[in-house]
Amino acid sequence: MRRQLIVALAAGAAVAVAAPLFATPDRVKLPEAYKTDFVLYNHVDRPDRKRVRFMYVNPEAHAIAEPGKVLPEGTVLVMEDHEAAVSADGNLVLDKDGRLAPTDALTGLFVMEKRAGFGAANDLPPEKDNGDWDYAAYKADGSPNTEAKLENCFACHMSRSGRDFTFTYFKNVEDGLPK
Amino acid sequence: MKGLRVAALLTASALPAATSMAEEIPVTMAGMAYAPATIAAKIGDNLALSNDDSEDHNVFVATVGHAVDLGTQKPGEARKLALAKAGRFEVECVIHPEMKAIVEVQQ
Ligand code: HEC
Ligand SMILES: [Cu+2]
Repeated sequence: MRRQLIVALAAGAAVAVAAPLFATPDRVKLPEAYKTDFVLYNHVDRPDRKRVRFMYVNPEAHAIAEPGKVLPEGTVLVMEDHEAAVSADGNLVLDKDGRLAPTDALTGLFVMEKRAGFGAANDLPPEKDNGDWDYAAYKADGSPNTEAKLENCFACHMSRSGRDFTFTYFKNVEDGLPK
Repeated sequence: MKGLRVAALLTASALPAATSMAEEIPVTMAGMAYAPATIAAKIGDNLALSNDDSEDHNVFVATVGHAVDLGTQKPGEARKLALAKAGRFEVECVIHPEMKAIVEVQQ
């Protein structure tokens, strides 16, 4: 009886330890002044979702990011999703370059941040190990998006392990982003 | 007044002629590779990207000024990418980092 209890307790403890501690909004905050202080370095059209996504990087990291080098510790990338303008007939509005027209309607925010120690704390299996990056998702009003499946962030960004787990920023630096 | 009307009619009729010169360039994905991998196009052309492979792909461009993500395409699905801006960009796949094509769009 006693022994069984101990086994049960031990199993409970093992579960608690194995539960990943990654990607808590406590760790990866939404930078308050990203709109004014960060560098807007790209925007990606998502015609399939009728969205435009704006990409920002913190100026401290951008100042020292170099082509071909892993991104600096302390890099914070914010992706801001907006609804794209749709005409009365339901088609996406395009500008003269064929790009979508973003509206002011914000639909959500995604943040990834690289800090020494994040990787060790995350303790993810190799197929989800994104080095020292951690992720968080926020709603349009800035509150944490508790529905976001944060483990998926790691799984999908893994495909860009060759460019420091980013889809845009590392490549854009390599292509010669203005400082 | 009458002159204006004629001018309007003329520009309207000129449009279809210009667009009929636009080409649709087929791009395939069989064997996890874009084919052709190097594409020369002109403004007004379209890439017709069809997934003729046996797994999902996701067309994605990260190049500044051309960045776009067409979403996941299941086998058999096709999507279009209109080329409305001159420049050179790389077509990637979100799922498979080794899939690449280079597109050069001229005036
Ligand atoms: C299915 C794949 C996938 C998942 C899951 C995913 N991302 Fe991304 N992420 C992308 C792609 C692709 C881009 C580039 C923009 C685009 O194509 O929409 C991107 C861009 C970003 C960027 C901008 C920097 C960069 O890498 O280009 C941030 C920040 C980001 N994602 C955070 C997150 C967060 C946080 C989550 C989880 C809540 C997440 N992502 C989940 C595929 C994914
Ligand atoms: Cu693919």
